[in-house]
Amino acid sequence: MKFKRALVMACAMAAVLAMGSLALAADVIKIAVPSPFTGSAAGYGDNVKAGVVMKVEEVNAKGGVNGKKIEAVYFDEQCDPKEAATVGTKIAGDKDLVAIVGHLCSGAHLAALPNYVRVGVAALSPTATNVTISDKGKDAKGQYWSFRNVYLDDFQGTFLADYMLKQLNLKKVAVFYENNDYGIGLKDAFVKQAKANGLQVVGEEAYMKGATDFTPQLTKLKGAAPEALFIAGYYAEGALIADQAKKLGINVPKFGADGLDNADYIKLAGPAADDTYLTTPFLAETAGPDAKAFIEAYKAKFKRDVDWMSANAYDAAGMIIEAISKVGPDRAKIREYLASINTKEKAFKGITGLTYFNEKGDCVKPAYVKMVKGGQFVPAPKQMTN
Amino acid sequence: MFEQQLFNGLTLGLIYALIAVGYTMVYGVIELINFAHGEVYMLGAFLCITFIQALGVPLFPAMALAMAFCAGIGVLIDQIAYKPLRKAPRLAALITAIGVSIFLQNIAMIIWGSRPVPFTRSAVPAAFSETAFTLGSVNVSGLQVFIYALTIAMMIGLTLIINKTKVGTAMRALAQNATAAALMGINVNRVISFTFALGSGLGAVAGILVGMYYNTLSATMGYNAGVKAFAAAVLGGIGSVPGAMLGGVVLGVAETLGAGYVSSQYRDGLGYAVMIAVILLRPSGLLGKSVGQKA
Repeated sequence: MKFKRALVMACAMAAVLAMGSLALAADVIKIAVPSPFTGSAAGYGDNVKAGVVMKVEEVNAKGGVNGKKIEAVYFDEQCDPKEAATVGTKIAGDKDLVAIVGHLCSGAHLAALPNYVRVGVAALSPTATNVTISDKGKDAKGQYWSFRNVYLDDFQGTFLADYMLKQLNLKKVAVFYENNDYGIGLKDAFVKQAKANGLQVVGEEAYMKGATDFTPQLTKLKGAAPEALFIAGYYAEGALIADQAKKLGINVPKFGADGLDNADYIKLAGPAADDTYLTTPFLAETAGPDAKAFIEAYKAKFKRDVDWMSANAYDAAGMIIEAISKVGPDRAKIREYLASINTKEKAFKGITGLTYFNEKGDCVKPAYVKMVKGGQFVPAPKQMTN
Repeated sequence: MFEQQLFNGLTLGLIYALIAVGYTMVYGVIELINFAHGEVYMLGAFLCITFIQALGVPLFPAMALAMAFCAGIGVLIDQIAYKPLRKAPRLAALITAIGVSIFLQNIAMIIWGSRPVPFTRSAVPAAFSETAFTLGSVNVSGLQVFIYALTIAMMIGLTLIINKTKVGTAMRALAQNATAAALMGINVNRVISFTFALGSGLGAVAGILVGMYYNTLSATMGYNAGVKAFAAAVLGGIGSVPGAMLGGVVLGVAETLGAGYVSSQYRDGLGYAVMIAVILLRPSGLLGKSVGQKA
C-alpha cells in the first residue's frame, strides 16, 4: 500500500508542477536550443549553452522583452542525426517555441531541418558550417528557414590552403579528416584549393569520431615527410593527432578550422599543441569593447576562457531576441525579420562583428588566424584579409 | 615501418586483452555478457586521476587504489543489478547490464563532466614519454615498456590464480556446472563476487593505461572499448581466458595493420571483419571449446 500512496503523491506533485508552469507560460517567451548535451559532443553543447545562458540572463536582468522573460528550452540531440530528427519534430510541434538557436552539428541540423521548414520556424545555427545546408532550408514558397551566423566549410578550407602556401610557404601537407559531413566538406574544399595552388597533398586519412589511436596513419605518413598536418575535425581527436605525431617525431605545424578551436585542445595535447594554426570567427584580441565585457563576465561565470562557439551562440541568441523584441513572439514574423537583415548597413552588431544574411540565410564573416604558442592561443603574426 | 605498426598493434592488443578477460570470466561463470564492464574500465581511469589530483596520491599507489575501488564497484554492480536476476531469463540480465552501462556513463558525466580531460601529465614519470630503446626500426617508449610489463605480468598472475588457487578451481568448477559446484560445497555467490572483483580490477588497470597512453579520458570512452573487448572475447572464444588474451592481441594487430595498410576509414570494420571470419571458420572462437564447457 505504501507504493500506492507514493504514486498518488507523485501524481499530485506532478499536477501542481504542471499548473505552476501553465501559470508561468503567459509571462515567458520560449526559444528552443537543440544541441548535444550528452554523448561525445556534449562538450560543445556546453559551450553553446553557456553562450545562450549569458545572453538570456543579460536580457532578463534588464527586464526581458516587452515585459516578458525569455526562457531557453534545451533539447539534447547528442549530435546524432536520428536524435535530432526526433527532437526537431518535438520542437516544430510546440507552438510556444518561437524560434530556434541551433543545431550545433551540421549533420544534426540537416536532419532536423525538414521539420522546421514544414511548420515554418526559423533555426539559427551558431556553429553548423557544412556547405549543403544552404540549399536544404527552403520551403515550397522559396523561403529559407535556416540561418547561420558562422562561415562555411568551403570558405575555411579554401582560406587555410591559401594561408599555408602564401603566408607560410609550406609545400607538402598531409590531411586527417573526420568521416562526417563537417570533416569531409572541409577536407574537400581544402584539397581542391591546395591542388589548384600547387600545394602537394601527400596523404588523406579518415577517422571516426571518438577514435583514439592515430599511430598507424601517422607511422605511414611519416615516410612521406609532410611539412604540415591539416586536421579537418574536432579538438578531442585533433589533440590526440597532434600528441601522437609529436611522439612519433613528426614535428610540423598543424592546421585546423573552427572544430579545433577550444581551450581543451591545448589541455589535451599539452606541449604538442604548439604551432597549431586555426581559423576562427572570433578573436578576443581584435574584438570591440562589448566583447571585452562579455569575455570578462564569461570567465567569471564559467571559470574558463570563452571559445568561439559560446561567442557565436551568444550572438545568435541575441539576434533571435532582437527579432522577438521588434516583431513579437511570432514564428513567421521572426523569420521575416531575420531575412530582412541582408546588408552590411542593417547588420546585427554583436561581439563577433557584423552579421547579415544572404538570400540563403548564410552569412559572410571575416576569418582570423590564431595559433598556439607556449600553451596559449595568440593571434597569428600573419593575418590574411580578403 | 611494418615492425613499428606491428609493435603498436600489439600494445593496443594487450590492452584489449586486459579488458576482454573481464568479459570472458563473467560469461564463463554466470553466462552474462556484462556490458557495464566498459564503464568500469572508464571509472578506473577517472578514479585514478581523481586520486592523483584531489588527494595528491602518487601514480602507482593511485593505480592500485583505483583498481581496488573498481573491484568493489564490480562486486556492487553484481549484487545490486545482476544477483536478483540470477534465476530470471538471460535476456533480463543482459538488458539490465546495458542499463547499468548507461547509468554509470551518465554518473561519470555528472561527476567529471562531459568534456574529455587529459591524464595528469605531472604525475606520469618523464621516462614514460621518452624513447626507452630502439629495436631495429622500432621505437619503443618507456610507457610501452611499462604497458607490456604490467599487462603480461597481470595475465600471468591471472592464469596462476585460475589454475593454481582454490578459488580459481572453484571458478572453473562453477563454469562447468553451477549446480554440481554448489553441491560440492562451493559458495557460489562468493566465487561470483570474486570473479567480478578480479575482472573489474583488471579492467580498471586497462582504463588507466589507455588514459596514460593516449593522454585523454572521457565519460564515453568505455563504450567503444567495451565493444572492442567483447569482440576480442568472442574472437578468442567467449568463456576462455587464454582465448580472450589471444583475441585481444589479434584484434589490436588486425586493426592497426588495417588502418596502416588498407584504409584508416575502415579500421574498426577491418578488426570486426577478422572477428567474423574467425567465427565463420571456428564458431566457438580461436580457443573456445565446443558447447558443453565454458571455461
